[in-house]
Amino acid sequence: MRTLCGWLCLAMLGLTAGCSGQANSARDTLILGAYTVPKEVYQRELIPRFQKLWKQKTGRDIYFQQSYLASGAQSRAIAQGFDADIAALSLEADIERLRDARLITHDWRAAEHRGFITRSVVVMLVRPGNPKNISGWDDLTRADVDVIYPSPKTSGGAMWVVNAIYGSRLKQTEKDTGSADPAAARRFLAAVQSRVRVMNKSGRASVTTFETGVGDVLLTYENEALLRRQQGKDFSLIVPDATILIENPVAVVDKNVDRHGSREAAEAFVGFLHSAEAQRCFASYGFRPVNAEVTGEFAAVFPQPPQLFDIDYLGGWQQTIDLLYSSRGVWTRIFEQKSN
Amino acid sequence: MLSNRASAGLRPASAMVMRAIFLFFVGLLVVLPVVAISLEAFRSGFGSLWKQISHPQALAALWLTLRMAMIMVVINVVTGTATAWVLVRNRVPLRGLINALVDIPFAIPTVVTGMMLVVLYGPHSVLGALLGRHGVEVVFSRPGIVLALLFVTFPFVVRAVQPVMMEMEGDMEEAASTLGAGRMRTFFQVVLPTLLPAILSGAALSFSRALGEFGSIIIVAGNIPMRTQVASVYIYGEIESGNPGGAMGLSVVLLVISLLTLLVLNLLQQRSQRHAATI
Amino acid sequence: MRPQSDFVPLSLRQGVPMGRHLLTGAVLVWFGLLILFPLFGIARETLNYSWETIRATLHSPASVHAFWMTLSLTVAAVMINTVLGTISALVLSRQRFFGKMLLESSIDLPFAISPVVAGFMLILLFGPNGWLGSILERVHVKIVYAFPGMLLATLFVTMPFVIKEILPVLREFGAEQEESAAVLGADNWQTFWRVTLPSIRWGLGYGVTLTIARSIGEFGAVLVVSGSIIQKTQTATLMVHDQFTDLNYAGAFSAALVLALVSFVILNLIQYVYRRKGEN
Repeated sequence: MRTLCGWLCLAMLGLTAGCSGQANSARDTLILGAYTVPKEVYQRELIPRFQKLWKQKTGRDIYFQQSYLASGAQSRAIAQGFDADIAALSLEADIERLRDARLITHDWRAAEHRGFITRSVVVMLVRPGNPKNISGWDDLTRADVDVIYPSPKTSGGAMWVVNAIYGSRLKQTEKDTGSADPAAARRFLAAVQSRVRVMNKSGRASVTTFETGVGDVLLTYENEALLRRQQGKDFSLIVPDATILIENPVAVVDKNVDRHGSREAAEAFVGFLHSAEAQRCFASYGFRPVNAEVTGEFAAVFPQPPQLFDIDYLGGWQQTIDLLYSSRGVWTRIFEQKSN
Repeated sequence: MLSNRASAGLRPASAMVMRAIFLFFVGLLVVLPVVAISLEAFRSGFGSLWKQISHPQALAALWLTLRMAMIMVVINVVTGTATAWVLVRNRVPLRGLINALVDIPFAIPTVVTGMMLVVLYGPHSVLGALLGRHGVEVVFSRPGIVLALLFVTFPFVVRAVQPVMMEMEGDMEEAASTLGAGRMRTFFQVVLPTLLPAILSGAALSFSRALGEFGSIIIVAGNIPMRTQVASVYIYGEIESGNPGGAMGLSVVLLVISLLTLLVLNLLQQRSQRHAATI
Repeated sequence: MRPQSDFVPLSLRQGVPMGRHLLTGAVLVWFGLLILFPLFGIARETLNYSWETIRATLHSPASVHAFWMTLSLTVAAVMINTVLGTISALVLSRQRFFGKMLLESSIDLPFAISPVVAGFMLILLFGPNGWLGSILERVHVKIVYAFPGMLLATLFVTMPFVIKEILPVLREFGAEQEESAAVLGADNWQTFWRVTLPSIRWGLGYGVTLTIARSIGEFGAVLVVSGSIIQKTQTATLMVHDQFTDLNYAGAFSAALVLALVSFVILNLIQYVYRRKGEN
C-alpha cells in the first residue's frame, strides 16, 4: 500500500509537469474558435497554408488549437471564458455577443469585405434522384415529406434556415400581391416546422441524421451540401429561387490576443483568410467567396438565385432575433399554438 | 448509526484536519455550485423564475421526461427483477458471462450508446427498415428515448435485487410451498414483500438517472420542442442560446424532483436495514 | 457475488415447470436485444473498415491526445476521490458536528443533477465573470475551458461513488477495532493502514471502478466546460461524438470500440471486486 501511495504521488507530479511543459512552448500559438461546418477547409487547406506562409515571413513555427462547436454554442463558450484568439462564426449576432461581452473592442465591420470571409445560401439536399419530386419551398409542407434542420437554439445554420423559410414566403407574397405578408410567412413557417422530424444541435449533426436515412429533405448551407457531394454521396441539390444570402463573419478577439500577445499572428491570419489564395480554398470547399476576383473565377459553380435576399430584407439580425427567436418570437410560439 | 457514539481513536488535531479536508472537498465540489445556481435562479425573483418554468416548451419537456422515465422504470422493474431471478436461481448456460455483461451500460460512454442505437435502429438498418415498414419509428422519436433510458439504467434494478434474492436462498419460498401455498401466492405473499425495498431502490436510482440523461438522448432523440425534446436537452439549448434563466428554472425543478426521489430511496434503505436487523 | 450458489430450488428437484422455462427464455431474449445486440452492432460497424484505416485514425495526433486527456482525467479523478473520499467517509462515520446530516445528504446531489447542469454550474462559478472566476482571473488561473475545470466536472459526477461505497462498511465495522488498536499503542497512521483500510478495501475498489467507468464516459458536463478544443481539451468521448457527426464513422466507431473494450476490462474488474466484496 505504501508503494502504491508513492506511485500515485509520482503520477501526480508527472501530470502537473506534463501540463506545465505544454504551456512553456516557444512556438507561436493561435486559438481558433469556429463553427462546425468549415472544419475540413481549415484543417486541410487554410491552416497548413498559413503555417507555411508564417514560416516564410517570420521564420517561426505557428501552432493552432482548434475548436469546432455549433455557432451559438461557440459564441457562448468564448463569452464565458474560452480564450479563443479568433472567432469564426456563422452569423453576425454571435460575433455581436462577444462585442457585448467586451471581448471584441474594435469595429470588426470596418475590416475588408465588411468583416465577412465567406458567403453561402440555404439549399435543399434530397435523396439521390429526388424520389419525392421536391422542387421548391411549397413541397416542404406536403404530408409525405419529412424535413430536417438543426435547432436554432444552438445552431447558427438553423437560424439561417428558418430565416430563409420565413423570408422566402415574404418574397413570394410580395411578388404575388405587391406587399409582403408577415401573417402568411408565419403560417408557412409553422407548416414547414410541423414536418420537421429531427432537430440536432449543430448543422453538422443534422447531416449525420440525414445520412442515417431519416428525412426526405435536409435544409442546410450550400457549402455543406457541396462538401457531401465531393465526398461521393450522390444526394441531389436544389437551390430555391428565393433564398437567403448567408454571410459568415470572422473577428480577432481583442481581449484574448492582448492577453496572449498574439495580436500580430491573429491579424495576419484573418488577413490571410481574406486573400485570394484562401478565398480559392474556401470556394473549392463549396463556400461562395467574398473576394470579387475569386467570385468571378467561380461564377459558373455558384448559380445566382433570382430572388436572393439578405438579412437586411428581414430588418437586420437584431430585429430578426426579436421577431423570430425571442421567447415571444414567431418561431418559438409555433410550438405553443400547435399544442393549444 | 452505532458508530456516531464517539470520535474514536483520533487525536483532536488530526480529527479537525480531516474534518477541514472533508468540508473543503464537499463544500467546493457540491455545496458551493448548488448554492450558486439556486441563488442565481432566485436572484431575479420568484415571479421570473416561475415564468421560465411555466414556459410551454419547458413544461412540455419536463412532462415528456417524467413520462418516458416512468415507462422506463416500469419496464426495468419487471425485466430487472426477472433478470436477477434468472441469474440467482437458474442454471442457464453462460450465466457468468451474462452476469458480467449486466454492468456494461455503466461502462459504455452514453454517447456511444446513442450512436449504437442510431446505427442499429435507423432506417438504413435491417431492423429499422423492418420496423419502419410496420409504421414503427424508433430513433428520433419517443421509443428511441425509452430504449436509450432502458439501456443506460438497466443495471440499477438487477444489482439492487440480486443480493437480496441471494440472501433469501429460497428457504422462505420452500417453506411456503411445503406448507402448500401455490406458486403465485408464494411469489406475491412471500417473495415480493421481501424484495420490494430493493426493487424500489433500484427504481428510484434509475428514475433519478433518467431525469438527467443527456449524452445518449441528444443523439437518439428528435429534440423537437413540445414533441420529442426532453428536459436535459431543453436545458442545454437554453444554456447555449444565452438564456441561462430558462436553463436554471428547469434545472431547479429537476433537482427538486430528483432529490425527493433520492430522499424516498434513503428512507426505504433505512427501513429495509431496520427490517433486516429485526429478522 | 457468489456466482455458483449450491442451492437448487425445490421446484427444480421436482422437475422443471413450463413457466420457469418461458420466463428464463424471455429474460434471455430481452437481455440479448437490449444489451448484446447493440454491442454486436458496434463491433460489426467497426469491422466494416480495414485494419489500416482503423490504425491510422487511432494513431492521429488528435486521437492520441484525446485518449491521453481521458486517461489523465481518470487517473486524477481516481486519486482525488480515493484520498478525499476516504477521508470524507471517515469523518462522516466517526465524527459528530453541526450540519453533518445536511452535508451527508448533499453527497447524493451529484446523482440528482443533470451533467449538463453540473457543467453550467461550474461556468457560473469559475467563468471569467463568475463568483470565484473573477478572482482567479486576476491571478491568471484558468479553470473553465482548461484541464482544472474538466477535472472539477469529472469529480462532481463521480464524487458519490467512493463515499457511498465505503460509508456503510465503516458504519458496520464501527470504531471499536480502531479504539482497541489505539489502546494497544498504535498511532493513527498505523491504525488506518493496519485496521481501517483492510476492512474497506473492497468497497473502495468497487467505488474506484465505478469512478473510472464514469470518468471515461462522461459527456454532458465535460462538453459544457471544455469547449472541445482539439489536441487540448478534447477527451476521447468528445472526439467520438465529433467524428460521428463529421460522418467519420471509421474513426468514431473504432475509438468507440476501444472505449468499449477498456470498459469491458473495467467491468470485469468491477465483477472481481464485487465478488470479493461479497465474500468479505
